[in-house]
Amino acid sequence: MQAVKLSLKKANKIPIEADTVSPDNFAGKTKEEIEAILAWYGNGQCPLGDFFTVEVEGSDSTENTKIVFDGDVSRVKRIGQGMSAGEIEINGNVDMHCGFGMKGGKITINGDADSWLGCEMKGGEIILNGNASYYVGSGYRGESCGMRGGKITVNGNAKDYLGEHMCGGEILVTGNVGLLPAISNNGGTIVIEGNATMPASEMKNGTVIIKGEVSDMLPSYKEDGTEEVEGVTYRKFVGDVNASGKGVLLVK
Amino acid sequence: MSEILIKNANLCDPIQGINCENMDICIRDGKIVESVSENAEIIDAGGRLTMAGGFDGHTHSAGKINVGRFINPNDARRKLVPGLSGPEKRTEKTRAQVGYNTPNTYAIGYRYAKLGYTTICEAAIPMLAARHTHEEFKEIPILDKMGLSLFGSNWQVMEYIRDKEPEKLAAYVAWGLKASRGYGVKIVNAGGGEAWGWGKNVNGLYDPVPNFDVTPAEILMGLVEANEKLQLPHSVHVHCNNLGKPGNYETTIETMKMFEKVKPTVDRQSLHVTHVQFNAYAGTSWRDFETGAPMVSDYLNSANHLTFDLGQVIFGPAVTMTADGPVEYANSRLLHEKWSNQDIELEDASGVVPLSYSPKSFINAVQWAIGLELALLVEDPWKIMFTTDSPNGGSFVNYPEAFTYLMSAKKREQVISGFGQMALDRMVLPGIDRELSFYELAIMTRSMQSKMYSRPEKGNLKVGSDADIAIYDIIPGDIDPSVEHEKVKQAFSGAAYTLKDGKVVVKDGQIEATPMGRTYWVNAKVPADIDSAMQKDTDIKFKKYYTVSKSNYMVEDSYLPNPVEISTEGVF
Ligand SMILES: [Zn+2]
Repeated sequence: MQAVKLSLKKANKIPIEADTVSPDNFAGKTKEEIEAILAWYGNGQCPLGDFFTVEVEGSDSTENTKIVFDGDVSRVKRIGQGMSAGEIEINGNVDMHCGFGMKGGKITINGDADSWLGCEMKGGEIILNGNASYYVGSGYRGESCGMRGGKITVNGNAKDYLGEHMCGGEILVTGNVGLLPAISNNGGTIVIEGNATMPASEMKNGTVIIKGEVSDMLPSYKEDGTEEVEGVTYRKFVGDVNASGKGVLLVK
Repeated sequence: MSEILIKNANLCDPIQGINCENMDICIRDGKIVESVSENAEIIDAGGRLTMAGGFDGHTHSAGKINVGRFINPNDARRKLVPGLSGPEKRTEKTRAQVGYNTPNTYAIGYRYAKLGYTTICEAAIPMLAARHTHEEFKEIPILDKMGLSLFGSNWQVMEYIRDKEPEKLAAYVAWGLKASRGYGVKIVNAGGGEAWGWGKNVNGLYDPVPNFDVTPAEILMGLVEANEKLQLPHSVHVHCNNLGKPGNYETTIETMKMFEKVKPTVDRQSLHVTHVQFNAYAGTSWRDFETGAPMVSDYLNSANHLTFDLGQVIFGPAVTMTADGPVEYANSRLLHEKWSNQDIELEDASGVVPLSYSPKSFINAVQWAIGLELALLVEDPWKIMFTTDSPNGGSFVNYPEAFTYLMSAKKREQVISGFGQMALDRMVLPGIDRELSFYELAIMTRSMQSKMYSRPEKGNLKVGSDADIAIYDIIPGDIDPSVEHEKVKQAFSGAAYTLKDGKVVVKDGQIEATPMGRTYWVNAKVPADIDSAMQKDTDIKFKKYYTVSKSNYMVEDSYLPNPVEISTEGVF
């Protein structure tokens, strides 16, 4: 087991692009080596040691490496980008693009996450114990496929465009979501325990379950009987007809 | 005075009839000369393949491409062709680069230069947006540029044709070229852009344009008459009606035939038909869709009044961008894709739709085959310009890949082996074993453009021509392109040297220098009385309809930092 603890020396205003912070990059490295890893800061690159106090215990493989952020990193972006295994725990708020394109492993955030959490994620797990901002599990701007695999759990609320262009994987939100969750989806499963507005617009494929209230249900869905999931009966809708979609939208 | 001696070049220069012969090339002050002094800087070509700089006579590289950029931000990170796509950091010599189908302006210049290309022609300038086109030209380094202005759905053009006022029409075309600093007349789906303003299209050559009572055939004939009256250096450049529709090869041949009777006033073709791949479709629907290339090629083999370009398809993502508004609407519905649609006020329409060509789709496979069939079935390479209609059929950075399709039947077989039976049944390509030589490839990629655009100083290395030169890392005598197609692709992907006006701009596939290229435009002289009569009509258009004033419409001199004005004398 290798444990790496990062504590921000002083709150930063200019965001740190921490796409080099992942178990893949830290595994087997010493404190000094990790401190020397570069991260973009403004228009230049700086060693992580400039920003963080680094503590390292043990040395191990990627899957046995755990990175812990001690405290708020709300101006640190792209933590865990592309990670394939291991674990990251963030004890505070985190900036945009956390877990972008991650392939495996686990990220736990005990705080709020800014936009694009788990964007283009392919595998692994993100657990957010707080609120999420826009575009959870979505695609890169302009791309037609967002999240393809893995699971994101939001134990809180999420803002608009949750799971935009999602093609696979799972998203669970225990609270409410904003406008247009599951927009243009082509696969995967989204479960929203709270309320949602205009869900699943232009969905081609996939499943969306909304347990709370739905506002502005789109008229481009065909009602198709009922379906029972885990002992609860939902009204079943199929669409989006506008996109010749075969997606399933289950609402109360 | 700067002098360069390129020693031991294996020159392939079809305009001079030189077919891979070892010789020296002398350069003084950016031009090819007979001899140089002993002080000349020496470049040893080492017997490698040497050609004039490439000339892409139909590419979408400034203007509309910007719409492609903003509806496809994801294109910025595509790295499909190593060294010629995706994000690249700024260096001491180059600015930062991004993109694949819609690269940033700097990347367009660098990447064409890496392929050994030194001149491009932007295929569509909406005159109303010409300032923007020139703003982009200004930021495309290295290359010489020119652009074709859109006239095919223009109100004033259609009115003059309807009212039988050929002189005013010619005066308007001359003014339009000046206003947009354009080089030639582009006609896209004649009349279709205006019809699209009413949610309609024109269905072929004899379907009248709503409210104007002229047919596409009349628009084409009216504009070619004006083009020849003005003695423009390029012929009319036509995107045929019914593009992208099964069965459209008939309209294409009919259009070509219509121009048989035209007498060009300049020593060049009387018609250029563009991206014929998209206009050589047989069948009656997408179900029975099949190649129309054999029929179109038969006609092209019998005709001597025209040139055409391929619009070759490259598998993978592409971005269609055209003034053919109704086609883009159809594309976006068919593919359920993003769609940009613009109304160019009194002039035309415009649309942009991204798509992806897949060898698994029988339609895409047949489209891919049609481009190559045209190139290989038409016997005379001087009639053919190689293009992908970049980025409509695919990005220009794939030219080296496409050259191997032309030069190697084995390479084609490799691709064809991935097609389904249905696709194979609808194409004739598997039965074609022709393989082009370096000489024929040079004709299609630089030499024929010299004649087609009346730019005698381009596309060849005669004494007096511009010293735009590409040296590729191939020894022609030592390579069999039919078998060693991977080597050919490699060599064309990064020139050993590219020289622009006698300056080394690329060395070993890397950018060495980024001089500013020229912009060519045509100033056609018109008698003052005809011009002022025409201007009165134009003034009314600006007063009544345009959202801009005439003075804000004209491209001013300051937009062209390095202009070359080509003057022609109209025959009235
Ligand atoms: Zn084009």
